[in-house]
Amino acid sequence: MTTTPAPFLTLRDLRVQFPTDDGVVKAVDGLSLALPRGRTLGIVGESGSGKSVTGLAVLGLHDPRSTRISGSILLDGQELTTAPEPALEKLRGARMAMVFQDSLTALSPYYTVGRQIAEPFRKHTGASRRDARLRAVEMLGKVGIPNPARRVDDYPHQFSGGMRQRAMIAMALVCDPELLIADEPTTALDVTVQAQILDLLGDLQRQTGSAIVLITHDLGVVAGTVDDLLVMYAGRAVEYGPVGDVLGAPRHPYTWGLLSSVPRLTSDVTKPLSPVPGAPPSLLDPPPGCPFHPRCAYTERVGGDRCRTERPELPEGRGAACHLGPERARALFGGARRTGTGGDRP
Amino acid sequence: MFPALPATPSPSARPSRRRGRHAAAALAAGALVLTACSSGGGGGGTRGEGPGSDKNVSSNYTIGTAADSKGPAPEVPGARKGGTVGVLQRDAFPHLDPGQIYYSDVLTVQMLYNRTLTTYRVDGKGRVTLVGDLATDTGTPSDGGRTWTYTLKDGLKFEDGSPITSKDIRWGVERLYASFETDGPQYIQQWLSGEGTTYRKALPDGPYGGKHLPSSVLDTPDDKTIVFHFATPHADTPYAVAMPSIGPVKAEKDGQRKYDNAPFSSGPYRVGDHKVGKSLTLVRNEHWDPATDPVRHQYPDRFEISFGHQFGDSTRRFLADQGSDKAAMSFTNAVAPEMTQKVLDRADTRGRRFDEVQPYVDYINFNTSRLKDVRVRRALAYAMPNGQIVQQMGGATAAQLAPNLLSPAVDGYVPSDPYGKRAKPAGDPSKARQLLKEAGKEGQEIVYAYPNTDIQQRVSVVVTQALERAGFKVQRKEIDSNTWRSAISDTKNSFDIYRSSWGADWPVASTIVPPQYDGRVIADGAQNYSHLDDPAVNAEIDRINAIADVKRAAPLWQKLADKILKDDAPSVPTFYNLQFSLWGSGLGGVKYHTVYGSADPTSVYVK
Amino acid sequence: MLRFLVRRVLGAAVIVLLISAITFFLFFALPSQPALMSCGKNCTPDALAVINRNLGLDEPVPVQYWHYVVGVFAGRDLTVGHCPAPCLGYSFSNQQPVWDTIMDRFPTTLSITLGAAAVFLVAGVGLGMIAAAFRGTWVDKVVSSLSLLGHSLQVYFLGVVALAVLVSGLHWLDNPEYHPITEDPVKWFTGMIIPWLVLSVIFVANYTRMTRSQMVEQLAEDHVRAARAKGLRRRTVFFRYAWRGAMTPIVTLFGIDLGSLFGGAIITETTFSLHGLGRLAVTSVSETDLPTLMAVMLVGCTAIVVANIVVDAAYAVIDPRVRLA
Repeated sequence: MTTTPAPFLTLRDLRVQFPTDDGVVKAVDGLSLALPRGRTLGIVGESGSGKSVTGLAVLGLHDPRSTRISGSILLDGQELTTAPEPALEKLRGARMAMVFQDSLTALSPYYTVGRQIAEPFRKHTGASRRDARLRAVEMLGKVGIPNPARRVDDYPHQFSGGMRQRAMIAMALVCDPELLIADEPTTALDVTVQAQILDLLGDLQRQTGSAIVLITHDLGVVAGTVDDLLVMYAGRAVEYGPVGDVLGAPRHPYTWGLLSSVPRLTSDVTKPLSPVPGAPPSLLDPPPGCPFHPRCAYTERVGGDRCRTERPELPEGRGAACHLGPERARALFGGARRTGTGGDRP
Repeated sequence: MFPALPATPSPSARPSRRRGRHAAAALAAGALVLTACSSGGGGGGTRGEGPGSDKNVSSNYTIGTAADSKGPAPEVPGARKGGTVGVLQRDAFPHLDPGQIYYSDVLTVQMLYNRTLTTYRVDGKGRVTLVGDLATDTGTPSDGGRTWTYTLKDGLKFEDGSPITSKDIRWGVERLYASFETDGPQYIQQWLSGEGTTYRKALPDGPYGGKHLPSSVLDTPDDKTIVFHFATPHADTPYAVAMPSIGPVKAEKDGQRKYDNAPFSSGPYRVGDHKVGKSLTLVRNEHWDPATDPVRHQYPDRFEISFGHQFGDSTRRFLADQGSDKAAMSFTNAVAPEMTQKVLDRADTRGRRFDEVQPYVDYINFNTSRLKDVRVRRALAYAMPNGQIVQQMGGATAAQLAPNLLSPAVDGYVPSDPYGKRAKPAGDPSKARQLLKEAGKEGQEIVYAYPNTDIQQRVSVVVTQALERAGFKVQRKEIDSNTWRSAISDTKNSFDIYRSSWGADWPVASTIVPPQYDGRVIADGAQNYSHLDDPAVNAEIDRINAIADVKRAAPLWQKLADKILKDDAPSVPTFYNLQFSLWGSGLGGVKYHTVYGSADPTSVYVK
Repeated sequence: MLRFLVRRVLGAAVIVLLISAITFFLFFALPSQPALMSCGKNCTPDALAVINRNLGLDEPVPVQYWHYVVGVFAGRDLTVGHCPAPCLGYSFSNQQPVWDTIMDRFPTTLSITLGAAAVFLVAGVGLGMIAAAFRGTWVDKVVSSLSLLGHSLQVYFLGVVALAVLVSGLHWLDNPEYHPITEDPVKWFTGMIIPWLVLSVIFVANYTRMTRSQMVEQLAEDHVRAARAKGLRRRTVFFRYAWRGAMTPIVTLFGIDLGSLFGGAIITETTFSLHGLGRLAVTSVSETDLPTLMAVMLVGCTAIVVANIVVDAAYAVIDPRVRLA
């Protein structure tokens, strides 16, 4: 974490908007980030904060007829937002791949696991049917499926949840992509399996040196897994920094709120997370000023109308988009990670 | 002998699929139009015209001489040889075996492949002449009309070129005694060997067991002569031997039951291809000699008959007049009622359609066992709304108001009108009321039974209204059409009035009056539905039946019928069915067969 | 899969047997007497008795049924000669073995039914996919509303209109007619066009609508998105992933419609003046021709049951999750 290699994935002022009858939904509203090879970026936030939309935008999977995308997405220097579909198809599955949250729905029930893994391999490498099948067996072995040569002909419904998720990771990694976007890859799994999958991702990264974006709403997941952490709120990045810094010394009241309710590995993962009182803002009509201000307990500390009228910017590098500023934040949220549900409410 | 089948409505009025042939009857007025009925009058000068003309011209019916019986038939002006005639029929032919044929569609088609001792020459203008067909004349009676002798013409051949002899005629008659021959007429068998079904005992297996009728009953003294010895005199014999069953069947070709699908031809056409229930192709019979045949021609190369054409379908095709339908006709499909107006409006259909009176009469019978007062019955006759019933049947193109008991299609018919039906087609309620008053039966209750078919339900409405207008109280009883015939032919039935229909088997009223009004034939299942038993009527029936000259008997039947209607009022006639036919413009020589009530194919040619 | 098929076939056999028994006994409960059909105009009790004996109707009904069933499997001797298995009896109305009649008519019904089914299945699914691929555009709207045109119409109406317009009016086509495909495939095809078209116009709407909505639903599924994330082309994903998922309810619908096509054969065949099993059913009822009626029922039931088995099998082929169930 000391040196910063040239970023492999760069987002600049990315905006993703969905025009609807009621207005334009600003799902991602000016997001910038940079991710070098070999590093893992965690993106956290509540549902609707724009995490998944960002992931799909990188792969270009939004329906162009119902989506407006602006800003820039650079993959190894290649602009993706304006790239033609065939170019994107060459990249998807080959240089960038995605793991989805629910392996039950993300794998087609109609084809064997092996076929679904082999498919992108054949497409991108031109391998023969046999070679692709061998590759699928190899990948299944790599992700820890016992007896892969036999299981390769099974259908997804014949796999357990954890095995399915492993299979999906195998499918994503079959072409050794340089960028892997994992969208809530462990959310649907029970806790022990969750840990195995995260370990697996780490192992694979060490072998291939790819860049990983790990999208989750669960701070417990990112703690030991990612290098850097990006916190999103209402389509915007509100805090960014090395994971230890962000978790140890959050600078944004929202991050602090999220931390306040992190479930332990031993607690019930099915319990809904409601770290901060109030509901996420409407993306159709976001509040003026700081989008978090209606839920923020610290607007008084900032003073005046500033939170309501002036939008705070996220500085380069370590920082938070908050009018409190780093010092006051450090004073308020401390350096130590809190536990329990209650925050320090002045 | 006759059908009466009330349940089925007229063919032109109801293009629905065939109902049970059972009650074969049902067909009487019905669908397949029936039987060989009578002749005569029919429509005189009305050919090709629309409805509205008066068809009740008196019959023009003659028994031909030996000269009339000589072939060939006069050429049809403009006719040429060749081509294929398409024939569109709704129902598949139930039989081809001439011994099983009774209804008008098959009566019509058999003319093409089956020859009989005598046959009808129709001129398309309503004139009908009975002529010798296989026989040199219409028969020679002796022994007071008990014995009839027929001589075969020279040069008669089957389709394989083998000669037709009197032995083949004998075989044809004797096979009618076999137990599978159940559908056809039984006159000749009964006259020869006994009433009812007792005749079958005379030759239980037909000729198949190697036995024959004794020569004292049916004699073939040589190859050219056949002699019938009846138990009683039968002046009607010349007509009875015109029925399809009295013709030649070659013993070696007689497949018994299977003969029904593959009859062996003696006529101008033979069976080429027969897909049972679907189609029948008739092709030229090269061994038929026109010089022997006084009525048939052999202009087209073939007739391609296909079944399953609803009236709407055949009418559409004839109207469109395209492609092979140009040279298509139907023997018995009528113009679909919903397309009647279109057909009449289209000028190009003129000259390729006719609308003619069929040999059926529809009656409403009065149960004289229950309605004993003749004044009540006469009141009913006056009140009956014949004109409105005609409307329900499909109007003027489908039916024609009937003023008396006989059909215009029988010899001797006179359009007498004892109840003034033509002047008052909706009935005469005041006259009826007056009669009821005289009888002291005002408010008389009438149990009115009718079958549950669409048409009869509609008819029942107008009849009920008319009777109530005349001061009756009507109680309607709807009967399942499947059981209708047995319900009304039960002599103990509890109904006062009910419909029936009647067609003569040949154009003489001896097949109309006796079966319906002779008091001695009252029985369950018989056709004297009104149970009339008037000794004077019975005696007059015997007197007329004994007259050896049918021409002299003809006017007497009409007189008797009028007397019965006026004095006894056992029933009231309501209407005559009409056959409204249309055909493709590519055909010539299509004419109405007055006796069979269908379109006659024997002189048809492709233009 | 084999066990599944065996189980289904056995079940079907039981159903067919049951229906045959019900048909047989119901027939004798009808008010009409079969013998009356052959009794001519002058029917007497004597004559009826003769005919009943001819037809073999003088035995008790259960005995007659037993002979019938035995005949189907083992053949039987009839008054007209030996009838080899499968003996469906001899029709005295048609004067031929029922088997011959059935073999003559069944191909017609099969041609109409399967041909029409193929046309409306392909057209319906095709149109539905086009509508789904272009959803929200004018193409979608045109396709969706066009397919609805025939939806509420009936064969006997649309059929007559089609004949009046295509045959009588414009002379584009000849009257429908059946030619065996083995004799003349071209005539077979042209003779069937109108019935196929008419039935397709009537049936296609459900397929278009259901395919469209299923495709739209499937296209939003995770696995479709996941397939795209693998770099598969849009078209590949559309046809391979979304389509496969969309087909399962279509197959179910198709099975039901095959049944109703058979059931509707009476009206279809009457409308187009074709001679298939439907027509045969009608005439055999009106002629109280028991052997033919029984055979039509048996063949019809068997066809529907077989169609259902095929559909179930197709379902299992499409969806592996059903296979082990």
